[in-house]
Amino acid sequence: MAERGVGRRPEHLAAVPGVGPPPADAGDLLREVARGDEKAFGRLYDLVAPRVYGLIRRVLRDPAQAEEVTQEALVEVWRMAARFDPARGSATSWIFTIAHRRAVDRVRSEQAASERTIRVGVASVDTPYDAVADEVSGRLERQQVRRCLDDLTELQRQAVTLAYYQGHSYPRVAELLGTPLPTVKTRMRDGLIRLRDCMGTGASA
Amino acid sequence: MTTEIHSLVGAYVLDAVDDIERASFERHLRECESCRSEVTELSETAARLADNTWSVPPPWLRENVLSEVGRTRQLPPVVEGAPPARTASRWRRFTAAAAAVVAAVGAGSAVYVVQDQRVREEQRVAEAARANEARIRTILAAPDVVLKKQDVSTGGRVTVATSRLHDAGVVILAAEAAPTGRVYQLWTIRPGGAPVPAAVLNEGQAADVVVLEGLPGATDVGVTLEPPKGSPTPTLPMVADVKLV
Repeated sequence: MAERGVGRRPEHLAAVPGVGPPPADAGDLLREVARGDEKAFGRLYDLVAPRVYGLIRRVLRDPAQAEEVTQEALVEVWRMAARFDPARGSATSWIFTIAHRRAVDRVRSEQAASERTIRVGVASVDTPYDAVADEVSGRLERQQVRRCLDDLTELQRQAVTLAYYQGHSYPRVAELLGTPLPTVKTRMRDGLIRLRDCMGTGASA
Repeated sequence: MTTEIHSLVGAYVLDAVDDIERASFERHLRECESCRSEVTELSETAARLADNTWSVPPPWLRENVLSEVGRTRQLPPVVEGAPPARTASRWRRFTAAAAAVVAAVGAGSAVYVVQDQRVREEQRVAEAARANEARIRTILAAPDVVLKKQDVSTGGRVTVATSRLHDAGVVILAAEAAPTGRVYQLWTIRPGGAPVPAAVLNEGQAADVVVLEGLPGATDVGVTLEPPKGSPTPTLPMVADVKLV
């Protein structure tokens, strides 16, 4: 099952010699994008958009808003491309940082409105694109992330996932978990360190 | 002080800090090389969490992004490595700050009660949503689906997906917040007929996905701002008018 999943990864499809464009690497593409290459941006889009959209949608839980914020984030990647510094991390990490901040900005401004409860109805709606996503997504990576999250202590996992996937601030996380602030800060840090050790290298592709 | 601020490293990497904490942490980073490398490493790790969130974006998004990119000027490189600037509008920053204040004031012992009620309410709403979900899936996946998009004059966008095959449509509204004391209302307009109320959003609600049965045949889907609970006839002008034919 897992092997079939691996074989379907789009990165691998793109890597078949003589078929389609040469293998895409986010760092190389971003360098071309920084020189104003719109075609390279299109390829970068194809490489990262499902994860950028998936991440933003996970945080916002609203497909329509996720779409809008994904667009903002990816246009920001284009605008800022020349300022990406490879010495300070991978291209994918840089892109997801932009995307995540955008999503968190939006979700925090939304939290004031009482609509969040009402919108859960919308939130639980999976668009049909998810069915496609299941077919093509990088199952191996997902499994690894899940396995590593399972490897954390309960408090570490809660602290990391409430912040990252739901966009909560650490004081809010402390409140939700009924845990003192310093403990939450510490668990976020040592949770990430444990994840790093479990996952090994940096972001894929 | 240095160790105090550095204890935020995990929260900083997870974007769980507020704007003021972020600014002071970034100041701290400029003075501390080992902290910078810790942030770089942990940011790579946090980014891997996005591997877990694959979701294929709707097909029209690519076109939208690429066309906006074609109109957007790139910033020149900077020698002194500044962190990615936040380009959120001042308005959005203001609302984020306001939200933080409201959240802080509203926090406290009541939070667990609220949580508990919310969970029950969420379950109820989610059950109702599941039936709706299947219908939305069907319509969006229809082979004959036609998409029309229109900007909302007060900010945001409305998208209408129509399928004759299923004799239904899906309206996806993603607007900026309505002015205080006003709510969004959707209307359908048929040839020779008066606008018919289709859905009224709640106060404070700026986004929704609504199934409209029998939508094919209508010429327009309109959006207006109305008093809470909506109006029997639209208050003009419409903030969006999506032409279906």
